[in-house]
Amino acid sequence: MTPAPGPHLSPDDVELWLTGTLDAARTRHLELCPECFDRAQAEREIVEQLAALPLMAPSLGFEDRVMARVTVADPFALRSLRQRIFASRRSMAIAASLALALVGSMAASVAWSLANQEILISAGNWVLAQGSQAGWFALRGLASNFIEQPWYESARAFADHPGRLAAALGALTLTYLSGMFALRRLLALPSQQVAHAA
Amino acid sequence: MAEAPEWARLTDQEVVLLARGGREAAYRELVRRYERPVFALLYRMVRDRELAEDLAQETFVKALNAIDSYRPEFKFSSWIFKIANNAAIDHLRRRELDTLSLDGSPHAETPEAMQATALQIGARQESPLDAVEAKELGGAIEAAIGRLRPEYRSCILLRHVEGRAYEEIAEILDLPLGTVKTYIHRARNELRLALAHLRE
Repeated sequence: MTPAPGPHLSPDDVELWLTGTLDAARTRHLELCPECFDRAQAEREIVEQLAALPLMAPSLGFEDRVMARVTVADPFALRSLRQRIFASRRSMAIAASLALALVGSMAASVAWSLANQEILISAGNWVLAQGSQAGWFALRGLASNFIEQPWYESARAFADHPGRLAAALGALTLTYLSGMFALRRLLALPSQQVAHAA
Repeated sequence: MAEAPEWARLTDQEVVLLARGGREAAYRELVRRYERPVFALLYRMVRDRELAEDLAQETFVKALNAIDSYRPEFKFSSWIFKIANNAAIDHLRRRELDTLSLDGSPHAETPEAMQATALQIGARQESPLDAVEAKELGGAIEAAIGRLRPEYRSCILLRHVEGRAYEEIAEILDLPLGTVKTYIHRARNELRLALAHLRE
């Protein structure tokens, strides 16, 4: 009988044989060594018996019993946001980079402002002057347009009576409040109640 | 209202993202995907259906209530099996402490109960209870698994019943890869010896 080549199979070799990846030389040993073959065959039988163990399932209603004790995450909760930031190194690195960029840009902006106060003041003055001039022109244009309207005189006569003016303002306020109330009712989201089985 | 996704097409990571977004259906999907393997692992670890179900429930409640702390770079299966295995090991340690008391379990209230839970030297041999469990569990292999050390039991079940890779088992059990290989080899060896009489 041909002697088996090489040493006996190691546990790693048996593992490779079980997964069908043992190299040819070691397989040759296995074929010629009854001791190794018996051991490997016995292990294969064990593995096959383990793989054939029956599937098991918890009793009916398991899912509902679990869900009755679980709080569904609120993605907008501050705690949830904090947990997401600290969930992994990547998320922490992204959050840290964003925070650094924000603080950095704010610091750069403050530093530049402090170093260039004169430029900022003259620019501010110019913006203010231009703005007030434009505002004044707009107001004048608006007023002259208003006065030229055909209904202006009758509106002015209406406003001369304080009682009528108060009634008109009251009606406008009431209309505004009713509109706001109706909008709130329309846009109200349903409450996040989750139905759980008992 | 958002459309219901086709759950079967989504990976665990995608389902977790939906759960984090507040979708209750995603939580349920995660329970459905893992209730059987988690329960099977726990049942074979503690060999008591009611207890296994309690531990499985604890596992899911713990995992799902902490879904925001799950790190997506790891497999969800590794995470849930890790929580389940820790629950089983904690329980077995507590039970061992109770069993090792010379006077019986501190929870025993009657002399019979004290005697039943007193120090059992050589408790490795199969008791009538073990025999009944073995029958219920489907044979000698189940009984032999029950007699393995808990860490060997976790390894062999994860590897050959759940079909997990060595690397994933190492991650689940927080053990070096070499230790996992050694445990699995030893566990197989012990099972082989325990079942040798059936081969003859």
